[in-house]
Amino acid sequence: MNKKNPDQLYSQLLQNDQVGAPDRGIEDRLMYSFMLKSAHSKVRQNSFSNFFGWLLSFQSLGLKTGLVSVVFFLSVMNNQLSLTPGSKDDSEKVSQQRVLVADTTSFIQNLDSIRTDSLN
Amino acid sequence: MIFGRKNRNFTDSALMQQIVSGDQTAFGELYNRYKDRMYYYFYRMLGNSADQANDFLQELFMKIVEKPQSYNPSYAFHTWLYSVANNMCKNEYRRRGIRQEYHQYEALEPGIDLPSETTIDPGQLIEKVFQTLDQLGEEHRSAFLLKYREDFSIREVAQILGLPEGTVKSRLFTARKILAEKLNYLKDEIEF
Repeated sequence: MNKKNPDQLYSQLLQNDQVGAPDRGIEDRLMYSFMLKSAHSKVRQNSFSNFFGWLLSFQSLGLKTGLVSVVFFLSVMNNQLSLTPGSKDDSEKVSQQRVLVADTTSFIQNLDSIRTDSLN
Repeated sequence: MIFGRKNRNFTDSALMQQIVSGDQTAFGELYNRYKDRMYYYFYRMLGNSADQANDFLQELFMKIVEKPQSYNPSYAFHTWLYSVANNMCKNEYRRRGIRQEYHQYEALEPGIDLPSETTIDPGQLIEKVFQTLDQLGEEHRSAFLLKYREDFSIREVAQILGLPEGTVKSRLFTARKILAEKLNYLKDEIEF
């Protein structure tokens, strides 16, 4: 009798072994779970919850303080730069705007005078 | 359909990268590649229970759904998948409180004389093989399944089980020796 190599024999034995197939419902459940998970992650990607969470937390306080200081400094410097001599102040700007607004009362008065002239 | 065809050309690692970015068709493709193999592994590792094999198969792929980024692409995907599956089986054994040591093999049933090759049923023979392996313990059974069913190299089996190659070789040798001793039919068939 020809004796077989044990590796060949066991490989042949096990590879021909059939134990049935997995339940088909598993794939459906997995696909549904995958869909739910990816939908959830897409919503999270578009939300600002992470940013606001970080902003309102006590994390990175040094960084936040630094950012606030820079913003405050820039706003102060901006005001100071706009009040330099030779530049127009606010009252002047307002008067200029007033000139640009159409004076409807004088327009009506002019119409009345034209009408009176024509009647006379 | 078009996407399905496209995904068939991708390697397992490439599919995993697509899964990380939320590609559902890639996940479907990967599941179909491995479902039967993993089902068989769980079935034989967990006492031939179809219900448990289904539960564990679902749990294994749920891990991929929930944390696909836990896979490191620098490793072979099949090695990683089987190592996760093997850890699940080990946890299950721990949960059941089953602890079997090699020395218990002495208490195995006496050798089984099976009739000549022409009359033997392969199904019956495989059941006898697994009965013997069950008595040896899950360490031997996992090495045996990975080597002979999945056709992994000794190195791959060692990676999956997290063992040195020498230990894997030793376990396979022990399993073969005991099978040959216990199944007299095999003793006539195999040369050592």
